[in-house]
Amino acid sequence: MLTITQTIKRLFMLFLLLFSFNGFAIEVYEFDDPILADRFKELTYELRCPKCQNQNLADSNSELSLDLKQIVYEKLKAGESDEEILLFMKHRYGEFILFNPEMSKSNALLWTGPIIFLMVFIIFFFRWYLKNREISDE
Amino acid sequence: MDKSGIIKPAISLAIFCLFIVIFYFLIGEDKTELPSVLIDQPAPNFEVQNLTREGVVHTQEDFKGKITLLNVWASWCPSCYVEHPYWKNYALNKDLTLVGLNYRDKKKKALKFLREQGDFFHWNLFDENGRLGIEFGVYGAPETFLIDPKGKIRYRHVGVVTPEVYQNKLLPLIDKIKKGF
Repeated sequence: MLTITQTIKRLFMLFLLLFSFNGFAIEVYEFDDPILADRFKELTYELRCPKCQNQNLADSNSELSLDLKQIVYEKLKAGESDEEILLFMKHRYGEFILFNPEMSKSNALLWTGPIIFLMVFIIFFFRWYLKNREISDE
Repeated sequence: MDKSGIIKPAISLAIFCLFIVIFYFLIGEDKTELPSVLIDQPAPNFEVQNLTREGVVHTQEDFKGKITLLNVWASWCPSCYVEHPYWKNYALNKDLTLVGLNYRDKKKKALKFLREQGDFFHWNLFDENGRLGIEFGVYGAPETFLIDPKGKIRYRHVGVVTPEVYQNKLLPLIDKIKKGF
């Protein structure tokens, strides 16, 4: 005979089992060609999920990401190149979707900023250095 | 105090104030809102079923010759229930053709939404698998696009089109389009 605690335990386990099927819901994209599988991995790693912003497509399971992954999958199977696929995404979601953005007018300062700061620092450092040398020479 | 003694603190203070001003303007901005790359681009090509009229198919050509507000909505989208009553008012504007884009939805639920909330759209596109949404660069619902008579996308609004957005953003642009720009 089962005690009440045992019954509750068993029911609880059953309950857990019932809801554990989410674990099987991982999308599987099957490729016959391992090169295609690698390119899929790389592309979904490089592309950002527009909905969840700090995740890439590979990590994200939002519905939009699943759709976009499916598109990447279909396009790879259809023989499109990586550039074509990235361009497809860029034309719809903008530069933002690329985790490795290209240099453009809008982000030029971001790219050149550190160099400019470094140069300004070097100029000021040398002026300070030369002034101090003069003082110590005296 | 000599002159150089005051210049340095003044410069520091000026830089500090500049940063404060920059931050002040950045704080209010919604960083999750992305600019659409489709602005001033022609609407994407598509061929999609009408939601309410069985067998009717729409293409991008249907946008031509009129000013269209294309609203992306879904029965699963909570904000759409908030937004929907506003469309009743916008439908009164005779310059506009209101088109619904039912995004990633089940037909039954979408039709129920229109029955219960009212259908103020001239026609509704049924984008069950979300592919048309992706063509428009949609990343959530609701989103609204203003399309001019040449079929060009002129504006994209993410989120609820409140009367303020309609008044301050959409109407001025619609006026501009009406004048032929």
